[in-house]
Amino acid sequence: MAATKITALALNGVSKSYGKVRALAGLSFEVAEGRFFALFGPSSVGKTTTLRAIAGLVQPDAGSIRIGGADVTHAPIKGRGVSMVFQSFALYPHLTVANNLAYPLVEEGVDKSEIAKRVKETADMLRLSHRLERKPSTLSGGEQQRVALGRSLIRRPKILLLDEPLTNLDAKLRHEMRAELKRLHRQFGMTIVYATPDELEALSMGEEIAVMRDGRVVQIGTPDELFDHPSDLYVAAKIGSPHMNTIQVKVGSDGNSLETPFGSVPAPRIIGGLSAGEALVLGVRPSDLRLAQGAAASLAPSVQQLEPLGDVTVVSLTASGQQLRIVLPEAQAIGMKTGDAVPIVIDPTKLHLFRGRDGLALSRQS
Amino acid sequence: MCRSACVGLRAKGNNATADFLGMLHMTTTALPPPPTAPDAPAFLTPALDNWRGAIAAALVLSVIAIAALPAAAAFWTVGALVALVAATFVVNAFRRHYYGGLLVAPAIAMLFVMNIFPLLWSLGLSFFAYQSNRQTMKFVGLHNYIQALTSDIKAPENWANLQTTAVFVVCTVAAQMLVGFLLALLFAKQFPLRRYLLILVLTPMMLSVVAVGVFYTYYYDPTFGLVSQVVNRMCGCQYVLMSNRAGAIGGIVFADAWMWSPFVMLLVLAGLVSVPKYLYEAASIDRVSSWRSFWTITFPYIRGLLMLALLFRTIEAFKLADLVILLTKGGNGTMTISYHVLRIAQEQNKTSEGAALSYLLLFVVIVLTNLYLYVANRRSQEA
Repeated sequence: MAATKITALALNGVSKSYGKVRALAGLSFEVAEGRFFALFGPSSVGKTTTLRAIAGLVQPDAGSIRIGGADVTHAPIKGRGVSMVFQSFALYPHLTVANNLAYPLVEEGVDKSEIAKRVKETADMLRLSHRLERKPSTLSGGEQQRVALGRSLIRRPKILLLDEPLTNLDAKLRHEMRAELKRLHRQFGMTIVYATPDELEALSMGEEIAVMRDGRVVQIGTPDELFDHPSDLYVAAKIGSPHMNTIQVKVGSDGNSLETPFGSVPAPRIIGGLSAGEALVLGVRPSDLRLAQGAAASLAPSVQQLEPLGDVTVVSLTASGQQLRIVLPEAQAIGMKTGDAVPIVIDPTKLHLFRGRDGLALSRQS
Repeated sequence: MCRSACVGLRAKGNNATADFLGMLHMTTTALPPPPTAPDAPAFLTPALDNWRGAIAAALVLSVIAIAALPAAAAFWTVGALVALVAATFVVNAFRRHYYGGLLVAPAIAMLFVMNIFPLLWSLGLSFFAYQSNRQTMKFVGLHNYIQALTSDIKAPENWANLQTTAVFVVCTVAAQMLVGFLLALLFAKQFPLRRYLLILVLTPMMLSVVAVGVFYTYYYDPTFGLVSQVVNRMCGCQYVLMSNRAGAIGGIVFADAWMWSPFVMLLVLAGLVSVPKYLYEAASIDRVSSWRSFWTITFPYIRGLLMLALLFRTIEAFKLADLVILLTKGGNGTMTISYHVLRIAQEQNKTSEGAALSYLLLFVVIVLTNLYLYVANRRSQEA
C-alpha cells in the first residue's frame, strides 16, 4: 500500500480467548490513516472481538494494539479517540434523539450552545432534524441506524469502528446506507474499520479488505487483489459471487499439463514449477468461462439449472460428474434448456491453482 | 387498597383472558355450530334462567322480609334470595353458551363471599352501635366516625397512634428502600458464592412473621438478649433496647426492614438485570462517567420498579401490627393505628367502632396512594 500514508491503527499478534474458545489467534493488520478498511469473514470469526479490542472493551491476552503510533493495548477506553457503532445500535432508550446525539459531548464539557450547534449539524447531515425530540424506539430501523452513526460521528473520532451496522436493516435500506457511509467517509476522511459478513458490503465499500478466518487474517488487499489473486482456496471461495468453480486435478506425468475430469489441459506456468502427480485444485471464476462461439470448445457439459438474474444468467453445468457454474449475459442464455450441451472454452490465463494439501495459491509466472 | 397497586397486573390479566377466550372461540368455530341459543324467557315466566324476573322478585321479597321478619330470619332470607339470583345467572349463562362468564363465576362467587360481602357488611356495621358480645344493635349514623375524630378521649389517642404509624411508615420504608437498593446493586454484579448468598439474603422475606418476631424478642431481651449482652459488655451499664420509645421503634423498624428489604432488592434486581449490557459498553465508548451512566441508563430501567416497591411497602407499613404485637404489645409508644383497631374490635369487642376506624384508615391510605400515583404518572408522562 501507499507507504507515504501514516499508520492510524496497527494490530500485532493480538490473541484473545474466552474460556476454551479462541476468538482471536495472533491477529495482525495495519490500517493507513483515512482508509475505509473492511474486516470480512463469516460470523463468529472474531470480527466483533477485534473491534472490541481496538475500542478497549476487551483486553487482549497477547499482542499489541497501536493507535496513531501510541501503544494502547491496555490503555483505558477514554484516551483512544475511538468511536464505535454497535450491531444492535445501542441507543439509549430513555433519551431523545437529540440527547442521544449529545451524549458523548456532555461529558467532555463542551458548552451548551456548541452542543446544540453540533447536534443540529449532525442531524441535518443524517436527515434526522425532524426526529430530534422523539425516543429511539419510535424510529424506523434506518433512522435508528443513522442516530447511532450520528452519535459516533459527533465527537469527530480519529477512528470509527462499525460492527455489522447494516445487518439489521432491510435490503433496500442497506443499499442506501452503503452509499451514505461512503459519502460520510469522503466528507470526514476519518479512518473506518468496518466489520461485515457480507461480501458485497466489503467489496463495495472497503478500500482495503482483510479476510478473516478462525481469529486471524488470511489475506489483506484491495477488492481487485482479493478477486484476482486470492491467497488460498478459502479467500477464493469467499470473494466473488457466484463462487469460484473448483476442480480436483492432478499434474500430468510431463509436469506441464493438468489431468481434469474432462481430459488434459495445458498447465499455467507456475513459479517453481510443478511436480508430476501432485494433487491440485483448479479454480476458475464463473465469469471467466466463455461460450465457445466458433472457436474450438474445451469441453461441452450439459445444462443442469438456469438462474436468470435479469441482466445475466447463472448456468449450472455438469460434465463427468463435475459441477461448473458459468455467468452468461442474458442474451446468450436465451433458449437454453436443461439437458442442452453447451460448448465452453477455458481461458488458461484466467486459471487459479491451489495446492491440494493446504489450499494455498500457487503464484503464476508473469 | 389493592386497587391502585394492581393496575399493572390487571392489564396483563386482561390480555391473558382475551387470548384464552380467543382460543375458546376458535375451538367453538372449528366444531359444528352449536344449536342456536334459546331466546331469553319473557320477564314474567317462572324459568330458572329468567334473571331479570329473579332480581325483581328478590328485591320485592327482600323488602317484605326485612320489614316483616325478625332480623336473623330476614338476614338468611335475603341471603337465600341473593343465592337464587346468582343461580339464575349461572343457568342463563349455561343456556346461552356464555362459557367465559361461567368459567370466571366460581372466582366471582368466592370474591363476593369472602371479600365484597364482609367489606360492605363492616361498612354497614360502622353506622351502628354494635358490640360482638352483645345482642343489641342500634343505628347511630355517623356517630362512630364523629367520636373517632372528635371525642376528647378517643380522638387524641387515634391521632397519636396514627402519628406513630406515620413514623413507622417513614422509617421502615426508607430503610427498606435504601438497604434493598444497595443490596440489589451488590447482587447485580458477579462475585464468588453470589447464588448462595442471594438465597441467604432472601430468606428473611420467606420466614413467617411470627418466627421473625420470636427471633427479635430474643435478640432484644433485656437479660440474655444479644443486643443487651453486647452493649452491657462494652459500656458496663445495664442497657435495654426496648426501654424507651426511640429504642422500641428502632427495634421494630430494624426487624421489619430486615424482613422486607429483600423484597425491594428482588424488584430492583429484576430491573438491574434487564438493562442490556451493550448500553454500558456504548456509554464507556462515549466516555461517560459512571455517575452519569447510572442516572441516564440504569435508573430509567429501575425507576418503575422502585416506585412499585415503594407503593407496596408503604401500604404494608400502614398495616403494621404483627411485629408490634410480638415485640412490644404496643407499649412504649409503639401503638400503631392497625393494632389499635385490632384491639378495639377484637379485645374490647367494640366491633362497630373498630369498623369505623378501619374505614377512616382505608380512606387515608386511598388518598395517599392516589396522590402518589398521580404524581408518579405525571412524572412518567413528562419523562
